[in-house]
Amino acid sequence: MSMSLVNSNTYLESLLQGQPRLPASPLAWFNQLRANAVDHAGRLKLPTTRDEEWRFTDLSPLARQSFQPARAAAAQQAADVEHFSVAEAAIRLVFVDGKYMPQLSTPAERLGNRGLIVTNLSSAITANAEAIEPHLGQYARFEDNLFAALNTAFLHDGALVIVPRGAAIDTPVHVLLIATQPEVASHPRCLFIAEAGSEVTILEDYVSLNEAVYVTNAVTEIAVGDNARISHIRVQRDSTEAFHIGNCAVSLAHASRYRSVSVALGARISRYDLNTGLDAEDAECVIDGLALINGRQLADTHSSIDHAKPNCTSRQLHKCIADGSAHAVFNGKIMVRAGAQNTDSAQSSRNLLLNAKARIDTKPQLEIFANDVKCAHGATVGQLDSEELFYLKSRGLSGVTARNLLTYAFGAEIIDRIPIASLKYRLEQTVLEQIKKN
Amino acid sequence: MSAVLQNLVNQPYKHGFVTEIESDVAPKGLNEDIIRLISTKKNEPAWLLDFRLKAYQQWLKMEEPAWPNVKYPQIDFQAISYYAAPKPKKKLNSMDEVDPELLRTFEKLGVPMHERAALAGVAVDVIFDSVSVATTYKQKLAEVGIIFCSISEAVHAYPELVKQYLGTVVPVGDNYYAALNSAVFTDGTFCFIPKGVKCPMDLSTYFRINTEGSGQFERTLIVAEEGSSVSYLEGCTAPRFDTNQLHAAVVELIALDNADIKYSTVQNWYAGDEKGVGGIYNFVTKRGLAKGVNSRISWTQVETGSAITWKYPSCILQGESSVGEFYSVAVTNNYQQADTGTKMIHIGKNTRSTIVSKGISAGHSNNSYRGLVRIAPTASGARNYSQCDSMLIGDQCGAHTFPYIQVRNQNAKVEHEASTSKIGEDQLFYFAQRGIGNEEAVSMIINGFCKDVFQQLPMEFAVEATKLLGFKLEGSVG
Amino acid sequence: MIHQDSKTILEVSGLQAAVDGVEILKGVDLIVKSGEVHAIMGTNGSGKSTFAKVLAGHSAYQVTGGSVLFEGQNLFDLEPEERARAGVFLAFQYPIEIPGVSNSHFLRLAYNTLQSQRGKDELDPLEFEDFVREKMKLLEMNPNFLDRGVNEGFSGGEKKRNEILQMALLEPRLAILDETDSGLDIDALRIVTNGVNKLANKDNAIILVTHYQRMLNYIEPDYVHVMRGGRIVKTGGKELALDLETRGYDWLGVERRAPASA
Repeated sequence: MSMSLVNSNTYLESLLQGQPRLPASPLAWFNQLRANAVDHAGRLKLPTTRDEEWRFTDLSPLARQSFQPARAAAAQQAADVEHFSVAEAAIRLVFVDGKYMPQLSTPAERLGNRGLIVTNLSSAITANAEAIEPHLGQYARFEDNLFAALNTAFLHDGALVIVPRGAAIDTPVHVLLIATQPEVASHPRCLFIAEAGSEVTILEDYVSLNEAVYVTNAVTEIAVGDNARISHIRVQRDSTEAFHIGNCAVSLAHASRYRSVSVALGARISRYDLNTGLDAEDAECVIDGLALINGRQLADTHSSIDHAKPNCTSRQLHKCIADGSAHAVFNGKIMVRAGAQNTDSAQSSRNLLLNAKARIDTKPQLEIFANDVKCAHGATVGQLDSEELFYLKSRGLSGVTARNLLTYAFGAEIIDRIPIASLKYRLEQTVLEQIKKN
Repeated sequence: MSAVLQNLVNQPYKHGFVTEIESDVAPKGLNEDIIRLISTKKNEPAWLLDFRLKAYQQWLKMEEPAWPNVKYPQIDFQAISYYAAPKPKKKLNSMDEVDPELLRTFEKLGVPMHERAALAGVAVDVIFDSVSVATTYKQKLAEVGIIFCSISEAVHAYPELVKQYLGTVVPVGDNYYAALNSAVFTDGTFCFIPKGVKCPMDLSTYFRINTEGSGQFERTLIVAEEGSSVSYLEGCTAPRFDTNQLHAAVVELIALDNADIKYSTVQNWYAGDEKGVGGIYNFVTKRGLAKGVNSRISWTQVETGSAITWKYPSCILQGESSVGEFYSVAVTNNYQQADTGTKMIHIGKNTRSTIVSKGISAGHSNNSYRGLVRIAPTASGARNYSQCDSMLIGDQCGAHTFPYIQVRNQNAKVEHEASTSKIGEDQLFYFAQRGIGNEEAVSMIINGFCKDVFQQLPMEFAVEATKLLGFKLEGSVG
Repeated sequence: MIHQDSKTILEVSGLQAAVDGVEILKGVDLIVKSGEVHAIMGTNGSGKSTFAKVLAGHSAYQVTGGSVLFEGQNLFDLEPEERARAGVFLAFQYPIEIPGVSNSHFLRLAYNTLQSQRGKDELDPLEFEDFVREKMKLLEMNPNFLDRGVNEGFSGGEKKRNEILQMALLEPRLAILDETDSGLDIDALRIVTNGVNKLANKDNAIILVTHYQRMLNYIEPDYVHVMRGGRIVKTGGKELALDLETRGYDWLGVERRAPASA
């Protein structure tokens, strides 16, 4: 991998400097994919606020910082990460600064689920190349996306989940990505495949052990097969000094269902792009999100729901709570392609400002090219409802308590949709603490 | 007023004739000499020439906006003639002296001038190509202190007023087309409502582009002083040419304390033929400054014409408790493209704004709503409500909604809703089963869809707007 | 009520119809005389709703054979709105919502269109308001329905009442009620059927299209026809409906292997 390709982008040099040369894979298509990505990464520029898609998210703090590849991670003890564990998840993959930690993980083979593959990508790619090739790099397009291009250029490891045809996995799969070192860049790459008729719940969980400055540039690709179901929970609890860039691309096959809850609590600047393709008839997606931020945090969620085929349904509820001088951004695009008749789509963006210095930018977008469709979207920005506050106060609650209660309820509506009880409980506590702090 | 619209709605595009009048056309192209020529022809004071040259210098440094959801070939700004006036035989003192050929044109257009104007009870200013031809009712309005005349005339008769306000709402370098307009505008309307005066009648301007290869760059400036109010209507048509013509207008409204300006437009510029050949490029900057406390600026538009529409009538709500409104119906058919909407900039405390946008797409057209609601940190208690509905007729067209909501104040409340409807076989069958034919059904459904906007229009305008829409969409349903 | 000397209103012979090239009606025969109430029963996909829509002239259905005479006139010579004006009324199974068009405006337009067709006086908005309010009492409807958009945000029961209100206003010769009982609770069913009964007289005729016998407890049919595989396979009196209720449709055993279409 030649660094000269990216010389035109000086800001990238620091990001890429010293990235170790990745070993060539025996898989030609895989090497080709990386080479294409390197090519594009070299051509693309770091987006600025002059780019429509980055209008509200100024990445210059990222450009000013220099990042190294992760050093060999200090062997984390199980005790260091135990408090991140989720009781219900019998299967767990742990990555520290992007590196797979087998001693902390419980991959699927130890559970004896026949045919189920839950392991790290780099160890399994050669053996499962046939299953992986049709999906890896096929959904997360990098032609116009620098971060996806970089992730693909440095594609090395991450979580791999393949649920075999007809299997219903009754335990959630926990993918835990832990940041420990300051000033490093990691590029985790996850691939989740649910084969026809299968069912699985996956938790993608980004955490950090300290308040360091680092950058996580994650890409996740999800293929939901015919009549399959994936429930995908994504929690981002990075250091409030960190940069988190996440791209997730989902493709839904016939009569499949994708259910997503994403929660953004951490990072100095976070950006999450979730692109969902309803690529076959009768597919359905339900996409919910919450960003709860404070201080000088910025959380930017971009989602795109692409109704490419008829008779698909999408529902989206995205909420932002901004306190301090935090800045929440939501850009949600619903696309209904020509011929995608009987589309039924509803999108809602609800936002709460808790401080005079906080700001919200929201842009729910509809692009419709078919006439027999039902599409609605709505957005609100405001403060707590004064009638509701009054009601609670009239029942003897203090103003502060009433406020906290309503704020909590606002966020809890999303967290309640997480199908993992212990995680839900823990996040509810986090939200409550966060609110009480203020 | 209905006479104007009566004509507007007639089919097929009835305004596609060219009037044979000797025109005084400037050579094609744009440079400082052309601007000086325009200024000289209009015998303008030096400050206005400076204004133009400054705008031109800024324009040279600017780029054509690429963000609208419209596609068109590169415009050659050197191929346009920036000044085309019906050649005046001498200075006109009364309507009787107007070129009879021109008068016949207005008759064809149904413009109620002269006695007909009096009957219709409307004061009309007519802009033909680039020059204001006649303004009716001036005398009667003058009695209550209202100034209603062409902007060229105002530059000479009321230079201080024009100088005070021109370019204060839309600065010369505001955007590419506003800069171009500021450099080359040839005429337009000036309207001044003094303190406490409620304008006794609707004021109206009628715009027409006549000469092929000319652009129209008119400039409208309306100032409503404290406690005054005015309702202003504009209508637009152009002949059929296979080439595209550029219309880049600038409208500035200023409302002082407790003043109220209502601005209604029925835009029916030539839209090109059913294959998308020809038609007007309508790139317009319209902005109102609600400067005073409790002032109100209200835009209502029915956009049916033009090959491309790029237009965002906006309100800057600076005065405390000021109000901004935008009511819009935009219809696109065949290969028309519209990217239209509004900006509501809330600066003052307790400012309120309402946006109601109805987009109807048919044929192969694309119709986009693009709106910005910005609540500045100073705008405590600000409120916005937006509703953007789309209707699709047929499966070859597109409807797009791009609302930008930017809130910097925690005591503000912004609500946005959008939905889609359609006119399809099932709707028409339901009506038919109750004995109601397709044509009537379509008109009823469209009227119902647009009701919230039409009820903002002066009544005759509303009735005719319905017919205009019915005509526009004829043959695209059922 | 059956009278030997009644005039024939509808005469259907060998009617065949298809949608998107798939044949659904495969030869329907039916004679309806004035004063009569006919019930057409059948399971989903038997063709009964298709039959209703073909009579009203929905463009999605192509008539591929047979004939229909309405008061002696070839029904297929008429456009859908002409059929409505001639007196064919269809109460829809799923009435369309039309936002923004007020119900009162719509009802008045439909009413006046028919009045002028019949050479009678049209009503102005005030006269119509009084007239329609009177009719609404029949269906125990709240007058504020008039100010809302046509069927906009109406519950299922409200939509069905609105359909029968239109029947009351338009006074058709032949009313076809397509699954009017579906989605109605017992009170609404009583109100709707009561309205229909009051509208039935010796000069008009009613065809009830229904899956269940329930509605026939309230509206007594003179004939019950069972449809299956796109044909009427059995005709009887009201007792046939009771048989169907207790024994289901399978005992008829006819055309069990009919294509599963429609």
